Amino acid sequence: MERLKKRNWGYLVSLALSVLLAFTIGAVILLAAGFSPLRAYGAMIDGAFSGARHIGDWLEYAMVLCLTGLACVLGSRVGIFNVGGEGQLLLGAIVSCQVGVWLGGSPVWIALPAAALAAMAVGGLYALIPGWLKVKVKVNEVITTIMLNTVAASLCQYLAKGPWKNANKNMVAATAQLDPRLWFHSLIPGSNLSTAIIAAAAITVLTWYVMQKTSTGYEMKLTGQNPRFAFFSGIKTDRLVIVCMVISGAMCGLVGMFRVYGVEHLYRSSISNQYYFEGLTVAMIAGYEPVTVIFLSFFFAILKIGAQGMELTAGVPNQIYLIIQTVIIFCMAAESGVFSSLRAGSQRKKARADIRRKEGRDHA
Amino acid sequence: MLETILSSIFSAGTFNQMLRSATPVALAALGGAMTEHAGIMNIGMDGMILMGAFFGVLGSWYFGSAAAGVALVLVMGVIVGLFFALFTVKFRSDEFIIGTALNTFALGLTSFLSRSIFGTGGTKGNPALPTVHIPGLDAIPFLGQVLNDNSLFIYLTWALVLIMWLFVYRTPYGLWLRASGEKPETLRTAGVAPERMKWLASILCGLLCGLAGAHLSLGQLQGTFAEDMANSRGYIAFACVIFSKANPAVAYAAALMFGFFDAIGLRLQEYVSSDLTGTIPYLITIVMMVYVVVRSRRRDMRAGRRLPQRQG
Repeated sequence: MERLKKRNWGYLVSLALSVLLAFTIGAVILLAAGFSPLRAYGAMIDGAFSGARHIGDWLEYAMVLCLTGLACVLGSRVGIFNVGGEGQLLLGAIVSCQVGVWLGGSPVWIALPAAALAAMAVGGLYALIPGWLKVKVKVNEVITTIMLNTVAASLCQYLAKGPWKNANKNMVAATAQLDPRLWFHSLIPGSNLSTAIIAAAAITVLTWYVMQKTSTGYEMKLTGQNPRFAFFSGIKTDRLVIVCMVISGAMCGLVGMFRVYGVEHLYRSSISNQYYFEGLTVAMIAGYEPVTVIFLSFFFAILKIGAQGMELTAGVPNQIYLIIQTVIIFCMAAESGVFSSLRAGSQRKKARADIRRKEGRDHA
Repeated sequence: MLETILSSIFSAGTFNQMLRSATPVALAALGGAMTEHAGIMNIGMDGMILMGAFFGVLGSWYFGSAAAGVALVLVMGVIVGLFFALFTVKFRSDEFIIGTALNTFALGLTSFLSRSIFGTGGTKGNPALPTVHIPGLDAIPFLGQVLNDNSLFIYLTWALVLIMWLFVYRTPYGLWLRASGEKPETLRTAGVAPERMKWLASILCGLLCGLAGAHLSLGQLQGTFAEDMANSRGYIAFACVIFSKANPAVAYAAALMFGFFDAIGLRLQEYVSSDLTGTIPYLITIVMMVYVVVRSRRRDMRAGRRLPQRQG
């Protein structure tokens, strides 16, 4: 317990330093591009905290980051990197939307669960392909999932332009709109926040519980850390990896459904703008620890919403957010490397001094 | 109907398109082959290509010449390569994390700079790389049409494939490079620091991926930059590297195969939605990755059969 606390403190300090450094580097890039960093960061803080609307948007985006981040953690826990969440999310979004359109006339308590099931099934099945290929054929999952992302995006584009397209000719590449009865209720008027966040909170708690508090969670950890040992201690590692991958995909599909039913109310490409990759980045910064993912997603959601506000008021492109986020990763990756090379250097120095002292004694 | 489709597929235009689509992937795959030999899993090539594409256009726009754009790309290529090596070699960070972060960083940086400098996510009509006309080549009926009047870098790629192949398999440096990935300790015993070869491989990869991006923006698209224009080509290049076991010549052939399916997809657009045909090269890449594994497994089984059967 003592050691755990110590490690947590170490992590927090290194995170804080990395964030500080990332903002400094961000300021340098802003200066180089001809913006005033102080004004930009001021606008960022204003953008994040001005009004209830922004707080709603913030919580909604935190939900997206948290669920996608946890989906990523779920895979990496057992040693499979789901980089294909973006495709699973998009497919889940478009299929759940179309199911909602088909079931537009039926009661809400039939239509919503059907749509959620469809989203999870499609996302899960789409993750099953790379998962199965990884476990049974031993194909690198990073490449297959990335390729499937592009395939899914094109497929959704095709469906939204062709078979499932909106009857309104002005809507290019969008599906028909859902019946307003099926929309998730908005919690803060004018913002993106909807009742989906309640479901998201339940999923988050469940995922955390399974990963940290059950024997299944322990088996997952064991499988990720040492698959051979896990296999010989009787864990069905192949099945566990595939199941985790499928659940990870199902979670991403569900995020797609939340975006459709909570925010957009139809499918179009603005459902997700590489959101999964931002969740993946959060998971990486959190070191694939579920609790840390939950806290960090709130932090990075503030950054993102602030960056969007900054673009509107100060005219600074919001992509500075991506730069800051990735620089944090680089800083945290560098930190352990710098310390270990410093330690090696000081040890070398100490060893040299020891030898010198020994030689001096021999001479005397 | 089928006849017209087939004749349009196997026309000189298709093979010319194959060459064009294959070249950026091939250049990046040449770079990826270097890091692969040095034992670095490099999935950051996509970001490297994107940076090359952006800084090529930026240099071309700022200095008013494509040559200056390429010069800027070469400088940036070295910087990106050094940056990548700093983390993967010096700090021994997780290659997967650094590669993914590099890709996202490149996406953020290029989009941010493009919007700050050009006001929008893209720019076009900047000075482009010249096309090369080889006199007399037109006399050959089919090949002339395919091979002549292409962008400069398509010819440069052929030279680079040869150079890199000679470098890897026919020079002592190439031997050290391969040893630094396969048996670093042996290399160290022989008196060469494996880290040094890894740094070299990383810089070469940065340069070649930068050239791939420059070809994409300055050559193929005539001075155009668009957000996220690498479009997963870096990952396709990575698949080509795995497929070819990092042999530059085979990697080029794999890139040509990708280009061929990309070209077929473009041809089929007349009949099927472009969104569907656009997925063909990506699906082929997955098939390619599966084939690599099946091939090596079959080879292992054959090797196993040759061994004398051990009796219990």
